[in-house]
Amino acid sequence: MASTRSKMQQASISEFFEKNKHFLGFDTLNRSIITAAKESVDNSLDACEEARLLPDIRIEIKKVKGKADELIMISQDNGPGIPPDSITKVFGSLLFGSRFHTIRQTRGQQGIGITGVVMYSQLTTGKKTRVVSKVKDEATAVYVDIGLDTKKNKAISSNRKRDHWFNSDGEIIEHGVRVQAHMKAKYQRGKQSVHQYLRMTSIVNPHASLSLKVYDEEGEVIDGGDWPRVTDVLPHPVKEIRPHPHGQEIGSLQRFLRDSVDRKMTSFLRHNFSGVSMRAAREVLLKSEIDEARKPGTITAPEAQAMLEAFKQVKLLAPPTDCLSPIEDLLIKKGLAKAIDSKFVSTVTRSPSVAGGNPFQVEVGLIFGTDMPSDGPVEVLRIANRVPLMYQQGGCLLTKSIESVDWKKYGLDHPGGRGVPKGPAAILVHLASTNVQFTSEAKEALSDNEEVFNEIRLALQEVGRGLRNHKRKSKQREKAREKFELVNVILPEISAKASAILGREEPDLSPVITNIMNAVFSEETSEWDSTEKVTKCSITLFNYTNRPRQYTILATWPEREGVEMVNENYEGRREAKGLRKWKLDILQPSENLEISFSIDGLSKGDWPQFDVFFRGSGEIIGAMKLDEKILEEIRREEESALEENEEDIEDVVDDAMEFDTDSSDDLDSVELDDAIRGPLGDVLDETTGVEVVKAHDADESGTLDREEITKAVSDKNTHQAKLFGDEWSDEE
Amino acid sequence: MNYSRDKTAESVISSLHEVAEEMHNKMMKGTAPTMSLPVRTKKNIEFNERLGVFKYGKKRSIRDATSLRSANQLLRALHIIEFIEEMINSGKSSTLREMYYISEGWGHGKFGSQNESNNLAEDLEIVTKCMREDFKLRPEEDGARMIGDITINERNRKGDWMTINARDDVGDSGYGLPYNVESEKLRLIKNDVDFIMAIETGGMFDRLVENGFDEEHRAGLLHLKGQPARSTRRILKRMNEEWNLPIIVFLDGDPWSFRIFASIAYGAIKTAHISEYLATPSATYLGITADDILAYDLPSDDLSPKDVEALKAELTDPRFADGWWQNQINMMLDLGKKAEQQSLAKYGLDFVTDTYLPEKLKLAGLI
Repeated sequence: MASTRSKMQQASISEFFEKNKHFLGFDTLNRSIITAAKESVDNSLDACEEARLLPDIRIEIKKVKGKADELIMISQDNGPGIPPDSITKVFGSLLFGSRFHTIRQTRGQQGIGITGVVMYSQLTTGKKTRVVSKVKDEATAVYVDIGLDTKKNKAISSNRKRDHWFNSDGEIIEHGVRVQAHMKAKYQRGKQSVHQYLRMTSIVNPHASLSLKVYDEEGEVIDGGDWPRVTDVLPHPVKEIRPHPHGQEIGSLQRFLRDSVDRKMTSFLRHNFSGVSMRAAREVLLKSEIDEARKPGTITAPEAQAMLEAFKQVKLLAPPTDCLSPIEDLLIKKGLAKAIDSKFVSTVTRSPSVAGGNPFQVEVGLIFGTDMPSDGPVEVLRIANRVPLMYQQGGCLLTKSIESVDWKKYGLDHPGGRGVPKGPAAILVHLASTNVQFTSEAKEALSDNEEVFNEIRLALQEVGRGLRNHKRKSKQREKAREKFELVNVILPEISAKASAILGREEPDLSPVITNIMNAVFSEETSEWDSTEKVTKCSITLFNYTNRPRQYTILATWPEREGVEMVNENYEGRREAKGLRKWKLDILQPSENLEISFSIDGLSKGDWPQFDVFFRGSGEIIGAMKLDEKILEEIRREEESALEENEEDIEDVVDDAMEFDTDSSDDLDSVELDDAIRGPLGDVLDETTGVEVVKAHDADESGTLDREEITKAVSDKNTHQAKLFGDEWSDEE
Repeated sequence: MNYSRDKTAESVISSLHEVAEEMHNKMMKGTAPTMSLPVRTKKNIEFNERLGVFKYGKKRSIRDATSLRSANQLLRALHIIEFIEEMINSGKSSTLREMYYISEGWGHGKFGSQNESNNLAEDLEIVTKCMREDFKLRPEEDGARMIGDITINERNRKGDWMTINARDDVGDSGYGLPYNVESEKLRLIKNDVDFIMAIETGGMFDRLVENGFDEEHRAGLLHLKGQPARSTRRILKRMNEEWNLPIIVFLDGDPWSFRIFASIAYGAIKTAHISEYLATPSATYLGITADDILAYDLPSDDLSPKDVEALKAELTDPRFADGWWQNQINMMLDLGKKAEQQSLAKYGLDFVTDTYLPEKLKLAGLI
């Protein structure tokens, strides 16, 4: 290591940047501006979320006059601001924040975060990045220019001053950050653009208001967008959890053992991992023939190996899943509906699951509309931990899951059953996980994982079923609409006209209507009542047959905490989760009846449509016969969810015992130095690189932590480039 | 001739009322109103031995108000019936296009397109066995032009009969036929011609006029203006029947001309209900035939894919079932060529009148 260090000192930061620009996100002029916007927006979203503020983020991009391919990007948020002391650290260091032993779902950054933007700007235009930051508690904002001392590989600040900060209306800005970077880059429209990135970000961050303005050399707006928030509810704060034993490998376990300050093995197991009760800890130690009283530091490699075996045999609790932050189906629905005009939106948030000791949760959305282009492939929106993935669509697990579904069955064109289906639709897949595994450090495509793949498939099939029902329903609805027009409008006119021409008495039309319709019709409505703040729903049944009919009608509703069904005009009963039923009286020929109810606890646009099912003989146009098998499935899922809940409670009790959090938030200068030098040194040493990769893979905190990215920087050039050679060349 | 003419206003109205009555009766019985009419496609035309023309066959379709589309059709039909009755009672008439615009005020009975209103008017003709002239509806297109020593009487707007000789009393454009050529409007007085020649294009008609073909060959010349209007086919039929004059048809040599001939000689599919009244089964197709293209080495164009499609459709059209036509159609398909009437000008302006037509007429045994 020592020899590589000295070599490293000769390497310049520009060399480092040049060699690593692929995964830093600055390999093309078009991608550079996307990365710059992405880093700023991700920082702003994370900061707002942590400070529990509703984010307002504005991005401006200006073409620099007289310079080919030079852009100025300005990003401004209403976040908490950065404390003056930390500004240099945030913008000029490769490593900042992040805990070591804990796991949670984080957005994380591409490459090395906003520092990359500062570096890139400096290297391509020589310009410093101008930062304005205002925290609430201080009277004035800090104005500072950040650059990098390329000789010392250190961030330097200049022109630091304090002043009031006003917005364009002359009002004082209380808190927020504004970043202005000047870089070589090119603004392009299309699937890979800042516009698309913000659009996708807005869908999966429904609590954020985003806007974009792009100006040409003359100051004319040439592109832009405005994505207001659709909810005032911030994502719930995610809990940090300890790793689960099932995700352990020998390297990571040994590191835990080495670093542990616990005095004996039982407390080691219970303090460092989730899902391990006292009983389980004892069992593990018994099976691996380790004395409970041993100090963790004394455990040998074969003993650690035996522990790993024991982890597999002993019944452990699943890791808690409140470390995940799903967007939730209703909000995805709103976000999608806002971004894309459509006739149909269906979203599913699956229950959290666990793969290899890592909690994860899958959410999908499908939007179908006649306004979208119908001849091309559907739009694929891939999201990992609320961060849109813009590149390498083909090789991504999320895409593969979409491709694996038999879309023809659900009413989308899917030539040969291969590739992405075609049609006027967009499919969104969001993976929330404490351990998002990417195919490469570019973090643009997720690597294969069977459990995740299967979960996504199940979710997609569910929205697929929704689409199929929607299509069938639209057809039925159209048919019903025509029939209603026929008997209510045209037929009376025919009768009146024919009678007038002949000078005869008008016939009684009710038997004629029954004869023409010869069916039972159901029509449902769902409307937001802005005065009562409830969603008013109704189901009207018309018996246009000549026999009395009797049915049980069932309707879907968004049953969840805080959402209630009120003002039912018929007494209903809960059939299963999200399914209400009403047993109706006999409906005589040519009679109709209306079931009405309201849903409280939703906001406008949350519940624009619902499904109506029935039990009874014959067909109802506009409602589906209840598939008892699907009902069984819903019930089973409900039961298993209940069981999990009980386990969770047990686990929480278990966790309530003391737990030593390692708050290594602040890094001393040595650590910082190491972090910056590390990558440059390791670039030249392949052996070291391999070790880092192993350690990295073994370390289950393969989350989007900055810390780990810094590590990863080191091995990229040596064999990531070989491993993912194809991936890179795809990009070029 | 047996059914259509001499209808009184009362009988027309009562036929129309029958249509409304069918609907009313059905509704009184508690069932969906209906209107029954023959299927109007190529598949339902049959040769009528007695009349010598193609008529609709026995396939009938019942339009009932169980679908929105059909119900709308019934409502529109009732509106037309009411409209016609009003016109008959007030002594007015209107063009089909005018009726289309008038339907704007019919609410749900409004037509979606002119084609729709034309078709419905035809439907009513078929169901009531009346003619649209009985309905006081007239077509948009003007009638054909005619030149030759033919004398007719036409009743003018004032109701007076005027005598016109289609050679001496007209200019170079000839006598323009009115849309109604029935006896109450137009009487055939006398003629001094041996045959009537119906010509597809205006250019050829003018060529024959300029070359004095009518006088030299004692012919009545008639310009068809493409697909001939009903009145054009009707006047040909009347001259053939009342004066026993042969009808000679001289058209371009392409699949569409074949169809024009079929509509003149055997009846058109759309008007098969009045074929015996419009068609002239004894009409002769003079040219341009497929073998003319070879025999006269005429300048020709390649058949387009649409031409080929049309020719193939004609092979299964019952009106072209006879051997001569099958032969002509197949020959044209083999050649892959079509030729215009005016391609005869290759041999000079007089070639058509001096050589081609005399040769063809001789071949047909007409001179």
